Amino acid sequence: MRKSKSDWAGYLYIMPWLLGLLLFTIGPMLFSLLLAFSKWDIITGVQSIEWVGLDNFKAIFHDELFYQSLKVTFIFALISVPLYQIVSLLIAVLLNMRSRGMNVFRLIYFMPSVIPAVAVSMMWVMIFNPEYGILNKALGWFGIQGPAWLQDPSYALGALIVMGIWGVGNTIIIYLSGLQSVPEDMHEAAELDGAGRIRRFFSITLPMISPTVFFNLIMGIIGGFQYFTQAFVMTNGGPLNSTLFYNLYLYNKAFQDYEMGYASALSWILFVIILVFTLIVIRSSSMWVYYQGDDDKD
Amino acid sequence: MNQSAKRISLPHILSMLALITGALIVIVPLLWTFFTSLKSPAEVFKDNFFPTVWHWTNYRDAVQAVPFFKFLGNTVMILIPVLIGTVLSSAICAYGFARFNFKGKRTLFLVLLATMMLPSQVTMIPMFIMFKEIGWVDTFLPLIIPAFFGGGAFNIFLIRQFMRGIPRDLDESAFVDGANRFQIFTRIVLPLSVAPLIAVSIFTFMGVWNDFQGPLIYLNSSDKYTLALGLSMFKGLYNVEWNMLMAATILIMLPALIVFFLAQKYFIEGISISSAIKG
Repeated sequence: MRKSKSDWAGYLYIMPWLLGLLLFTIGPMLFSLLLAFSKWDIITGVQSIEWVGLDNFKAIFHDELFYQSLKVTFIFALISVPLYQIVSLLIAVLLNMRSRGMNVFRLIYFMPSVIPAVAVSMMWVMIFNPEYGILNKALGWFGIQGPAWLQDPSYALGALIVMGIWGVGNTIIIYLSGLQSVPEDMHEAAELDGAGRIRRFFSITLPMISPTVFFNLIMGIIGGFQYFTQAFVMTNGGPLNSTLFYNLYLYNKAFQDYEMGYASALSWILFVIILVFTLIVIRSSSMWVYYQGDDDKD
Repeated sequence: MNQSAKRISLPHILSMLALITGALIVIVPLLWTFFTSLKSPAEVFKDNFFPTVWHWTNYRDAVQAVPFFKFLGNTVMILIPVLIGTVLSSAICAYGFARFNFKGKRTLFLVLLATMMLPSQVTMIPMFIMFKEIGWVDTFLPLIIPAFFGGGAFNIFLIRQFMRGIPRDLDESAFVDGANRFQIFTRIVLPLSVAPLIAVSIFTFMGVWNDFQGPLIYLNSSDKYTLALGLSMFKGLYNVEWNMLMAATILIMLPALIVFFLAQKYFIEGISISSAIKG
């Protein structure tokens, strides 16, 4: 076959993606950047876009709801990201045991992550119902008087975090495939040297799957800032804005108040925050991420 | 962890107990929803877990209370073209990245990976404005057309990784037999890439079936709602009728669960591959 230096036909094949990149990614990003420095409600036409410089950002930094939504999102991310990682890893380690019936367990644990978020949300609204929900009934058997969960500003966010544990199946599968790539002879060698179960986990398993931890960490952070459906369906930000997630606030500004410029500015702040966090995780990764034989370069 | 399977030790028993407890935590809420959906309205708020009489008619009532089949039809009308667009265009683009050497390929591929990390909120507002200006708001088009433009970076990546594993000797021999590059794609590479194409189809199905924010933004009139969006409106209408609400919840879960059980292998493989991205 011809081994030409540059095969122009290649561009033809990736053309759909290239066009999509221009039309649905780069173009909109530029337009969004312009909007972030403009004032515009969508009801009047595009011609009424008015350049306002940094006004949107100035207003945002004096916006109490902006800080509230940041607070909600950060609390959620700081608690849920490590919590879900630990729970997923623990379950994945258990699922990695060689025993009969593991496939059944694997299916069960994974099942919640294929259920539509809307259905999951509606189910949990009923589970969290203070009087008739199964959660408070179950707590009642142990003599615990459960709180009003979603109706109580001090419990609503916690309720959403608890609900999230139910759906960590995706993360479990990713950890499981990471665990299965750990060579067995390493464990056997360590066992011969007298290393116990826990020692082996921290000295072999954890370092070997650190790239997976790293991947899940980044995805978890990004996910926290994009949290929407559950908050929209279950609490719509309430009570008293205690579940006003950043993404929900952004949606409200854009599609309830039609403040497109303001909302675009919010979206760029979101972008910068995600970028900074991702970079922090990537930069610090050399200290704790171990790549085995990094030979799969393109 | 990796000891021989036969040995029954205390840690092994404790691990199994932990697994069973966890599995119960996963399953009980689903069973509770299912059994409550079959109760009579009066029985919904009682303490018994199982219904005394199984009211299957709740399901009939639920699909009549909301235009369930209308919503289902709308969802399918979006799903089918999105599936076609995604599979076709992501396979073609993946072939381009897997089998051609062109200037700037490395850079473009890095851009492709980078777009996976881009939060959709950044493009959400300008895309909405764009679609509004061309009069596509309150139609299915904004939810369908983008699928034909590459079908999503992750899908291209997934198929490309697989195609790279297909021996180039096959291409070479077909080339010697007089096949051109496009025929090599349609006759050799594509038929061998069925596994990732199935995975992509399943992820796409799930994506459309679960999508909430997209339909919420673009679809205004209730006769155009998808199931996910329509169901959330159901909640507003029938605050008290729990059994019907639960029946509707079960109905929207079912297709996703059926697809999952039929194609579990592809799910688990696809998700494992997604974690293999090392930047």
